[in-house]
Amino acid sequence: MAGLVVADHLSKWYGQVIGLNDVSVTVPPGITGLLGPNGAGKSTFMKLITGQLKPSKGGITVLGEPIWQNPGLYTRMGFCPEQDAFYDRMTGLEWVTALVRLNGVTDTEAGAMAARAIEDVELTDAADKKIGAYSKGMRQRIKMAQALAHNPELLILDEPLSGMDPIARRKTIRMIKDWGRAGRSVIVSSHILHEIESMTANILLINQGRILAEGNVHQIRDLIDEHPHSVHIKADRTRALAREFLGHDDVLSLKFEEGAVVVQTGRPDAFYARLTDLAASGEHGAIHEVTSPDDNLQAVFQYLVKA
Amino acid sequence: MPIHDQGYRRYGGNKARTGAGWMVIARAGIRTYFSKRAFLGLLLVSWFPFFVRAVQFYAAANMTSIPQASMLAPSADTFRQFLEQQQTFVFFVTVYVGAGLIANDRRANALQIYLSKPLTRAEYILGKLVILMTFLTLVTWLPAIVLLIVQIAFAGNFTFFRNNVFLFPAITLFAFIEVVLASATMLALSSLSKSSRYVAILYAAVIFFTQAVYGVLYAVTRSTSLSWLSFSANLAQVGDVIFRQPLKYDTPWPVSLLMIVATVAVSAVILERRVRGVEVVA
Amino acid sequence: MSDPGRSAAATPGVLPSAVRIFDLSLGQMLWSRRSVFLGVLLGGPVLMAIALRIVDTLHASGFKVNGAAIGGSAIFGMMVWLLFIRFIVPVLGVFYGTSLIADEVDDKTITYLFTRPIPRRSVLLGKYLAYLACTVLLVLPSVMLVFFLIVPIGGGGIGEAFPSLLADLGMLAVGLASYGAVFALVGTMLKRPLVVGLVFAFGWEPAVLLFPGYLKRLTVAYYMQALVTHEMPQDSAISMLLQVFHEVPSVTTSLLCLATTVALTLWLAGRAVERREYVLEQ
Repeated sequence: MAGLVVADHLSKWYGQVIGLNDVSVTVPPGITGLLGPNGAGKSTFMKLITGQLKPSKGGITVLGEPIWQNPGLYTRMGFCPEQDAFYDRMTGLEWVTALVRLNGVTDTEAGAMAARAIEDVELTDAADKKIGAYSKGMRQRIKMAQALAHNPELLILDEPLSGMDPIARRKTIRMIKDWGRAGRSVIVSSHILHEIESMTANILLINQGRILAEGNVHQIRDLIDEHPHSVHIKADRTRALAREFLGHDDVLSLKFEEGAVVVQTGRPDAFYARLTDLAASGEHGAIHEVTSPDDNLQAVFQYLVKA
Repeated sequence: MPIHDQGYRRYGGNKARTGAGWMVIARAGIRTYFSKRAFLGLLLVSWFPFFVRAVQFYAAANMTSIPQASMLAPSADTFRQFLEQQQTFVFFVTVYVGAGLIANDRRANALQIYLSKPLTRAEYILGKLVILMTFLTLVTWLPAIVLLIVQIAFAGNFTFFRNNVFLFPAITLFAFIEVVLASATMLALSSLSKSSRYVAILYAAVIFFTQAVYGVLYAVTRSTSLSWLSFSANLAQVGDVIFRQPLKYDTPWPVSLLMIVATVAVSAVILERRVRGVEVVA
Repeated sequence: MSDPGRSAAATPGVLPSAVRIFDLSLGQMLWSRRSVFLGVLLGGPVLMAIALRIVDTLHASGFKVNGAAIGGSAIFGMMVWLLFIRFIVPVLGVFYGTSLIADEVDDKTITYLFTRPIPRRSVLLGKYLAYLACTVLLVLPSVMLVFFLIVPIGGGGIGEAFPSLLADLGMLAVGLASYGAVFALVGTMLKRPLVVGLVFAFGWEPAVLLFPGYLKRLTVAYYMQALVTHEMPQDSAISMLLQVFHEVPSVTTSLLCLATTVALTLWLAGRAVERREYVLEQ
């Protein structure tokens, strides 16, 4: 499958500071989450994708073409930047219309496209208010409206949920998933792990300018087979259970907590199967709760970052 | 073996007395500008007239065999002219350093942060003033005083100094007035905007526009009694009085001084109203 | 939701894109707070003209220079020279020209413009055209008001002087275009364009015009002189020196050189904008 964004040994430095370090990655169609802590290189990567920065080394193509000094490509891309910056004196509709006009459409068409985009982001009621009077969530949404007003194939959203309240956050996540279902490709960056998880399973992990991992979060987890899987078991007779577990070689370690035992296993499938049998038989007392903190992005990321 | 607590510990050292916060702002600001190479270049260039004058004094003192050397002999007017020439550098240093002093803090919403510390508005303003005044002193008072010392050194005697003993207080007083006027005006303008570029142009407008207005009125009326309209003419008039030189303008010097005082007062009022943690919307 | 992926419209060219940027920027420039500054700057000469007119009405003897009465046309000429040519036009050029792109960068709105399917140079060109329209729309009426207030002083005829007004208006528009283009280039290439702009307009140009030789051809003021129909006022020693070294090219040469300067500097500025990376402050 052809990649939307193909980076080939891409590096970017600012003087002595390396922003991105020899990144070679292909971003597939669909929703891709770009995940990393602050200062990881997410914004640098996004700026390279959107042609605001020129690679110091290597190359990057977007939708099959180099992006630097190629303004024609912006008809197929929409970018929602991180910074909270607007022409505050303009209304939301005026602002989006003015930006859509720069795509070469007529005034009437620009107005219609802007109105449609504002409707998509559920801001129709506030369209005629000055942007300076908007709340943070509204400002984020009007930014997204200008990014999608011209019907781009690819949307690039840099920290779109930053500063939003929980309700606005949920709405925005739903919108992004809807766009993905409608056939648009979206690259969305965030440093908040559960946000990305709620939008997509397809992620790109970045830290200190390097890509740590790419692909489905579960695939990534499976690949890290050196890292033991933790299972947290709340039970009545934790010591009895522990004695049972220690008899099997897939159990690597265990520790006791208040009313629970935490087991580290190298073969989670086999362990879960045995645990199910134990819970059903009640041989070593009742088992109240089984959770695994490891099967999520947080655990994957922390492991990779520490590595 | 006792296990030491690795958690957070409250600061147990000495704290500076209240009212000294301005020194922190001043020190940080001065260090920031000294770390900029372009600014150091500007400071260096601003001392070129000093070197030219130093050569002049050397020639006047040590080349007495050449008849023309007597023309280079220093006088009180020489120091007056030197300080007048330094006004070009006063302008550029004021614009370079002063335009963003408060404007950049307003842009970054840093005023709220500053004033949420145990720091009064007066300390904040004083700290900023000290930054600008320090650099302006470096291009006015310091080179003039060093020039005086250089004259004594090259002449090998105190004759000139004894005959012009008023020069030391004159240089100090005039430099002080010039520095305070430029600093107060620029700081007040800087508090009016979030854009240092805009502030710089406002300052240039105050200097050049008032001079242009006076220029038109002089061209029309041929009278210098309206020189009080010009920012730089007021300073020149007061400078001539301090250095005991003939006055260039017909405007009475107390009027020029009053205009300078009024400018500083208006700047203080503007600063008092604009430097706040929050904007008060009536 | 409409279906994405349909083929996009063809990319607009430089000029059509520039026109759209012009539309976007003109309103912002005219209704921004900086227009207050512009209003004060341009209102000053009008107020001065009103004051002079009142004084002339109250004192029937009119204005005299060395015993000889000076007419309204001469006063108007002085005002055009001292206020508009030597101050307002260069200041507006420096202020707006250096901040065409820099303002958008400071406000962090440049991203929206540079991620549109338009050549980057059209952003600069559109903003330049907006600057020109804004300043011409404000400066020229100010000059006209001053003309109508001042020229009748001393019995001057508006009808006789009207052709020279038209020449002045054209000259000021050319000056705004030239200074704006030159400082647009300075703004795109330098980190601190305002200081450099002020040095150029108020340091380099007045100084270099005094020197004989070819150096003065590297100024806008040299070519502007040819387009001014009024005599240069003798308001200072520098003006008198300028009269001594007065060397004025022909009107055709001046217009050609200024047109070339505008075209070349805008082209270079556009090229710089295309190639430069703008890293916004976080």
